[in-house]
Amino acid sequence: MNRQSLRSKIVVSIFGLAMLFPFIWMVSSSLKVGAEAFATPPTLIPKHPTLENYRRVFEIIDLPRLFLNSLIISIIIVTLQLTTASLAGYAFARLHFRGKNAIFVVYLATMMIPFQVILVPMFIEMRQLGLIDSYLGLILPTCTSAFAVFLMRQVMLGIPRELEEAAILDGASHFRLFRSIALPLCVPTLATLGILGFMGTWNAFLWPLVMIYSPEKMTLPLGLALLSGEHSSSNDWPMIMAGTTLSIIPIVIVYLLFQRKIAQSFLTAGLKG
Amino acid sequence: MKGRKVKIWAAGVVGILAGGVGLVGTPVHAATKTTITYYTFSAAPDHTKALNAMVAAFEKKNPTIHVVVQNGAYGDYFTKLKTRIVGNLAPDTFELNFENFVPYALSGTLLDLNSQSKKDKTFKKSAYYGKAYNVFAMKGKQYGLPASFSTVVLFYNKDLFKSAGVALPNSSWDWSDEIAASAALKAKLPEGSYADFQPVQFFEFYKTLAAAGGKFFNADKTKVLFNKAPGIAALNNLINRVKDGYMPNKAQLGTVGEIGLFTTGKLAMIHTGIWNFDGFKDLPFGWDIAVEPGSVSPSNHFFSNAVVASAKTKHPEAAWKWARFMTSDPAAVKIRIAASWEIPAVSDKKALAGYLNNPLPANRPAVFEALKYPTVPPVIRQQQQMQDAVSAWLEKALNGSVSVTEALNSAASDVNALLEKE
Repeated sequence: MNRQSLRSKIVVSIFGLAMLFPFIWMVSSSLKVGAEAFATPPTLIPKHPTLENYRRVFEIIDLPRLFLNSLIISIIIVTLQLTTASLAGYAFARLHFRGKNAIFVVYLATMMIPFQVILVPMFIEMRQLGLIDSYLGLILPTCTSAFAVFLMRQVMLGIPRELEEAAILDGASHFRLFRSIALPLCVPTLATLGILGFMGTWNAFLWPLVMIYSPEKMTLPLGLALLSGEHSSSNDWPMIMAGTTLSIIPIVIVYLLFQRKIAQSFLTAGLKG
Repeated sequence: MKGRKVKIWAAGVVGILAGGVGLVGTPVHAATKTTITYYTFSAAPDHTKALNAMVAAFEKKNPTIHVVVQNGAYGDYFTKLKTRIVGNLAPDTFELNFENFVPYALSGTLLDLNSQSKKDKTFKKSAYYGKAYNVFAMKGKQYGLPASFSTVVLFYNKDLFKSAGVALPNSSWDWSDEIAASAALKAKLPEGSYADFQPVQFFEFYKTLAAAGGKFFNADKTKVLFNKAPGIAALNNLINRVKDGYMPNKAQLGTVGEIGLFTTGKLAMIHTGIWNFDGFKDLPFGWDIAVEPGSVSPSNHFFSNAVVASAKTKHPEAAWKWARFMTSDPAAVKIRIAASWEIPAVSDKKALAGYLNNPLPANRPAVFEALKYPTVPPVIRQQQQMQDAVSAWLEKALNGSVSVTEALNSAASDVNALLEKE
């Protein structure tokens, strides 16, 4: 190992630890009893580690149900986002139709509108459709993603024309081109979008907050919010940390499964546009 | 083996059919049950069991009514409640605190409960603590039944007082006694420990203002009066204790916060709510409470949460029954006291005796002593804007960017502008 490589590894490790520290702190706090969480000097390794905070989380909220709800909703939304984004991305990258660029620009512009601005109109729309307090009301508004379409278009622009022309000579239709040529080449991007979409949906709070009323339909972030009391000064922080630790487990698993694909996809997405 | 499988299948099919035709687990009166929703912010996370017990007791007494509890986190409760009301999807019954009650009552979203109480021959408003009952009435209409009330008292660490050789606080203290004790404690306490803490914000300001003999609004609520001499004295009392090093400043509070400082034995006195009793019960040092010191007159916080019903509920009678039960039925009162879920807003002293029997803190009667001089929060339709404006100017005075007088005059000008739009 040469000196430069060692130096860069040290730098990366320091940054890595800095990023990791809040998570370590969260897990450490979740194992402490009330007073130790505020002790000065703070302790990283709990003096009397306990799982009591985790037990209380399970007692207060129906965690398995919340997990299941979030998981089902996240999987459905991500599947729909990937389907719509890959089809739209293919159309914007490979088809020729009037107003294509204008539509794409308008589509991109929607990314600049903060969600809070469209919250009320969307709520009214859902109410008129009778979808308040339903899973469908949660899923429909987020089943497409402008960012995902943008990323898929960029990647599909990079597919060599020769591949497409050869397939057309063999009599392939556009859908066949999409399914057999474009899609297999976009797997890393789909993986990236999958994890980004999953993280976004898993952590979504505001839209589920206004849409879901029934406790049995709540998603995980809504349930976790119930761990904070009316008086924030008397919140049981170790218990909140325990709930938060449990909630990030699926995200960590998904990230660990797809991390290589993510880095690969971001590196190639900007090559051609 | 094959025979056993057949039996399992047969049992399954019979079970499904029985369930399908309503033979298993379906009450006979299911079809006639009225279902109402109850949306609440004060149950989660610590009192959900107590609330479920109340619902079970209510449903036992009223077998034709089913209450669906919807818990909300306080921080997001009003965002969601507003959306639900705007979307014509308001819960049948829900919880409101006094500070947020006025805008809802004025906007016509609440049911006048007098329409139901008149029909209920056994109802007596004297069952409630008078002050709590009356604050949820407006223009002759009763919009809420008080479920609980609470106040703020002076908590103190007995061990720190004893080790510093300073006399313990008592209910005859006034501001000067608190300052004198703080000075004595400061001289003895080690580095990193503090004598006192009282937040410098809207809620503490209107209370100390009343203690200094001042008033927040004029009689017809068209102008504020808090920028006069009593207001200046009140804010000086709060800020000077930080300047003199008796109370920790924001940087010294850090992420530990005032409750963290107190629970780790680094704060001798703290002005905070009685809702902390349960959280403090296992502290490894002796602690007790006293009525908060006043100045010209005693003044203590009075907070109350009520159960209200939506004006658009399709089940006003069931909503009334639930609101009445949850707030004053002896069974619900008993559950509330056992769970240390604030104080039930009832007048029955026998029922409240259970609250006083709890051994910690020893001076529990101070809670009721404090409630003899209640100061209710000043409320207007644009409540949040008013609170934010006042708190922002108090913060500026605290960090020294403006003088106390300038801060109060600026806050007065902001609130007067809000009052013009009322």
